[in-house]
Amino acid sequence: MIETFLSYLNQNSTITAMVNIGSMVLFFIGLFGLLTHRHILRIFISISIMEIAIFLFFIGSTFNKAFTAPIVEEGYTNIAVMNDPIPHALILTAIVIGMAVFALGVSFAIEYHKLTSRTDINEMNEMGES
Amino acid sequence: MSSIYFIAFPLLFGFATPLLGKLGKNGIAYVSTLMQVALFVLALSLLFSTNWHVEVISIAPPLGISFVLNKASLFFVTLFTLMMMLFSFYYLGLRKTDPYANEGKFFILINMLLAAAIGLVLSSDIFNIYVFFEIAGVSAYILSAYKKTPKALEAGLKYLITGMMASVFLLLAITMIYIHLGSLNLAVLSQTFSTLPYNLKVLISLFLLIGFGFKVEIFPLNFWVTDVYEGSSSLVNALFSSIVVKSYLFVFFHILYLFMPASDFSTFLIYLGAVSMLVAEIVALKQTNLKRVFAYSSLGQIGFIFAVMASENVYALTAAFFIILAHSVAKMMVFLSITSIQREHKSVEIATLKELNSPFITLMMILAMLSLLGIPLLAGFVGKFLALKDFAVSGEFVILGVIVIASLIESIYYFKIAGNLFSKGEKREKLRLTLIQKAVFITLALLLLLVGTAPFFFSGFINDAAKVMLDSSIYINTLMGVIK
Repeated sequence: MIETFLSYLNQNSTITAMVNIGSMVLFFIGLFGLLTHRHILRIFISISIMEIAIFLFFIGSTFNKAFTAPIVEEGYTNIAVMNDPIPHALILTAIVIGMAVFALGVSFAIEYHKLTSRTDINEMNEMGES
Repeated sequence: MSSIYFIAFPLLFGFATPLLGKLGKNGIAYVSTLMQVALFVLALSLLFSTNWHVEVISIAPPLGISFVLNKASLFFVTLFTLMMMLFSFYYLGLRKTDPYANEGKFFILINMLLAAAIGLVLSSDIFNIYVFFEIAGVSAYILSAYKKTPKALEAGLKYLITGMMASVFLLLAITMIYIHLGSLNLAVLSQTFSTLPYNLKVLISLFLLIGFGFKVEIFPLNFWVTDVYEGSSSLVNALFSSIVVKSYLFVFFHILYLFMPASDFSTFLIYLGAVSMLVAEIVALKQTNLKRVFAYSSLGQIGFIFAVMASENVYALTAAFFIILAHSVAKMMVFLSITSIQREHKSVEIATLKELNSPFITLMMILAMLSLLGIPLLAGFVGKFLALKDFAVSGEFVILGVIVIASLIESIYYFKIAGNLFSKGEKREKLRLTLIQKAVFITLALLLLLVGTAPFFFSGFINDAAKVMLDSSIYINTLMGVIK
């Protein structure tokens, strides 16, 4: 019973489906957080969750369990059965960029809090029609 | 190899800044300006050289990076380097009396912005576009929060949150494109994009529209723009309005023309642009802050350019290029004038213009506003006339009506500003400008007059640029010729 269940889980299609559905759920958790929370740091965290969902979706849907890691070394030189390395490279770049923008945003929020002691984005109304 | 210089030099400058600081207090400022002059001269020499052809630089094809410098991208590269050069000259004049704190960082940021804007225009790889999108974004966020006052930080935060949302949707679109088409190269994608099922095409183009829509400031997604313009310093607004938005506009329509030429989607975009223009102009009427008024005016003009570019024919695109040129020059003049006024009066309300005592600045603002309105003999007229003519020829009378009404509304608040400029009342002391600042203003004004009175000097090149940008087969051939 457990054997069949585990082998079912281990199928390529199951993994892809789980990753796709899971990343979609994660994306909507992030979107929900973005729409319901007003604290500036929570908003940054929500957007980061949405980004992570996309990273997961990209890696998961280009991953094939039957293929090997995309590293060429002794005994592993058959490029045809290797996973596509491009998504990994792209997502690494995207993670770094996302992290940098997140850090920049948090630093802005800290500076803003020091000056005005506000954290709620609904209260951010220095500007606008007077 | 010249197209790589446009990106490499400004980026290298950032890394070399610690060394340049040893040259003395003015070292960084002068080297940065010198480099921008060199880039402009390089762009100009390419513009005038007779045996120039399309340049493609590829690193390890077919997966590597490639940059394409054709006539359309050269137009934008020349415009950006010219604007940035004049901006730097103006700042050189300004810093003698009132420099920015921690000036070295400011020069790094504006050069990063220049590199990213040019990179967006040149790169022909959709992931590279994402990277330059983020570099331009990050330097723009820091520039808008540069002064670290509550207003500036709030502007930076608003800009950053919307920018993060935009990059999420752009990344989602790129992800779906790569999963279904297996490539990131624009030439390959433009050949294979039509093989996708209809629903997927709609989904991807929707994500692309949301991703770029935040950045090109189109109607439902432009709620943040005026706050950012008001919070950040008016010096930086000149860059946002004349360089950053223009590069995003180019990339969006470049991708649109390559992926979905002549589709139903473009009709939707024309209406979106027209609505964007009308809404922005109506809201601008009741503003009392100069920066906000011109932010809304920028939104209106961007909506107009958006509608014209979405028409997807050579005449409309020629008109759009003229409008982009005129709008960049005029907005640079307006925001630099506002910077000078703000230094003197410490206020940017329209009513403070009554106290302005500077015939020179008054003349410059009037010239820029007349050009934005599209008065004959100034640059704005050429583009507006060609665009309206094209809408009339293609029978889009609803759009034509909307644009004419929006321009009428625009003229109301420009005349309000002009009335304040000319009103008699107590004047302050005479506003002083350095010689170099006057030279910058006069160059910009002469450019407006030259484009307005002699558009035939420019129309040949701009027409060629429009043809190259619209015809995806030329682009594919140049890029694939290198890849294979």
